[in-house]
Amino acid sequence: MNNDQNSFLSSSQPIDIIDGNITSTSNQNELSTLDEPIFETIKRDLSAVLRKFSHALIPRQSLTLLQQWDLWGPLILVTTLAILLQTNTTKTSSGMHFAEVFILMLIGSIAITINSQLLGGKISFFQSICVLGYCLLPLLISAFINNFLFYLPYKSILHIIRFLIVMIAFTWTMYASICFLGQTQHPNRRILVLYPIFLFYFLVSWLIILHTHSK
Amino acid sequence: MMMFASDGFLTDNSSSTNTGQTHVFTSFPNSAVDVDDEHSGNKTINQSDSNQYTLPLPATANETTSEQYHLWQIEYYQKYFQVDTRQVVERLIGSITPRPNKSYFDSTIRQNPDLYGPFWVCVTFILTVAISGNIVDYFHKSATEFQIDFSKITLSALLILIYWWLMPTAIYFFFRWRLNRIEYTFLELLCIYGYSLTIFIPISILWIIPINWLQWTSTLIASIISGSVLIVTFWPTINSDHKRFSALSMLIILFVHLLMALCIMLVFFHVSDKNINPTTETTTVFTTVLSTTPK
Repeated sequence: MNNDQNSFLSSSQPIDIIDGNITSTSNQNELSTLDEPIFETIKRDLSAVLRKFSHALIPRQSLTLLQQWDLWGPLILVTTLAILLQTNTTKTSSGMHFAEVFILMLIGSIAITINSQLLGGKISFFQSICVLGYCLLPLLISAFINNFLFYLPYKSILHIIRFLIVMIAFTWTMYASICFLGQTQHPNRRILVLYPIFLFYFLVSWLIILHTHSK
Repeated sequence: MMMFASDGFLTDNSSSTNTGQTHVFTSFPNSAVDVDDEHSGNKTINQSDSNQYTLPLPATANETTSEQYHLWQIEYYQKYFQVDTRQVVERLIGSITPRPNKSYFDSTIRQNPDLYGPFWVCVTFILTVAISGNIVDYFHKSATEFQIDFSKITLSALLILIYWWLMPTAIYFFFRWRLNRIEYTFLELLCIYGYSLTIFIPISILWIIPINWLQWTSTLIASIISGSVLIVTFWPTINSDHKRFSALSMLIILFVHLLMALCIMLVFFHVSDKNINPTTETTTVFTTVLSTTPK
């Protein structure tokens, strides 16, 4: 053994050494994003996320959200919504409320995805979560508006205004998700798939409506 | 007609009487026929060898479309979800309209029990109860005290899911013990009980209105309607038993149904006459029921 190692290490015969660079030198068109500066990466991903937001707000093109899915948008939206929905919490219990809202949305998305797969839909798990998350944007905007409206003095009529705003956002959200997810199902079963989505967004809208805070 | 020939192989009748060289190859796998063998002058080709090619294919080879799915694949569960919108709506309507002689179960569910309807009816019921319970709290408490009570969702989920699974289990084993046969499969029982909760969904929204007699009468009417649908469904089976026993078991089914509705009404919605502020502790079901028993 020892002899072999020594002979290998101290060989005087010319060994064919293959050397070269690890980077690809041939084709600059290859999708190698390892070399680019971080700013470029962030800019590209951020613009993709923002583009998807715009598609979710104005649902005209139904392919981008499904084919180039990513989970950044849903994460940002759900986290922001969960933070906004903290009501009357002390320091110790705010963690629990955040977790409850987050888990509720997660379980809801999973249930809807499994439901549409069981009914024979051809959509994958993460695509469905992506669409459901991005379509939450109108509801998030309504939650923001409700938060600002709470500082106005007229209390009784504010209930009705907040209710109306959230209902408008809810119909907008439903319309967007119908545009995206309704096409993936057989027409006989479309309502069966859309009903759980309706329930999910309904629950989120009620969470937003019932959200009040005191000063 | 397939029959066993003298050499023990299953053959067609016509070929067994045929002693000549003409054989009727009724069914043989494609790979079993080797063209080279016939041309190489295999002298031992006779009746018994060629009879091997008339064995029928194994049974599983006929089903080329349905593969055997496993428990962890989602396609395994797709067979419980073979429904269209129209069928689900039919079953929902059938579960809230009791017809004395016609059981909606036989006409709609029996051929094709599904899990979509019962599951989503239960989830809808859970959510409407939880949301309505929170709305009741919202209007009764001041704005500073109100907090969204997530424990209502878990509590209502517990109550309703237990009811949805407990009663079919009890009835399934009751039928097996009493009648010694499986009249309804477990899936069909789940279906029946799931759809029977449909009527409580609008009732749970009605329960928000804090008028005492309205809550009680709506509970009674809803449980009687859906309970009678249950009774009509189970009546043909239980009727073969003793008259008193069958009446008793039907009454028990109706009673448990009513009990479930009352529990939910009392725990989440009840406004007693003594005080306008309802109790907000929902720690255990029994203490709340005991403490809010009306006069």
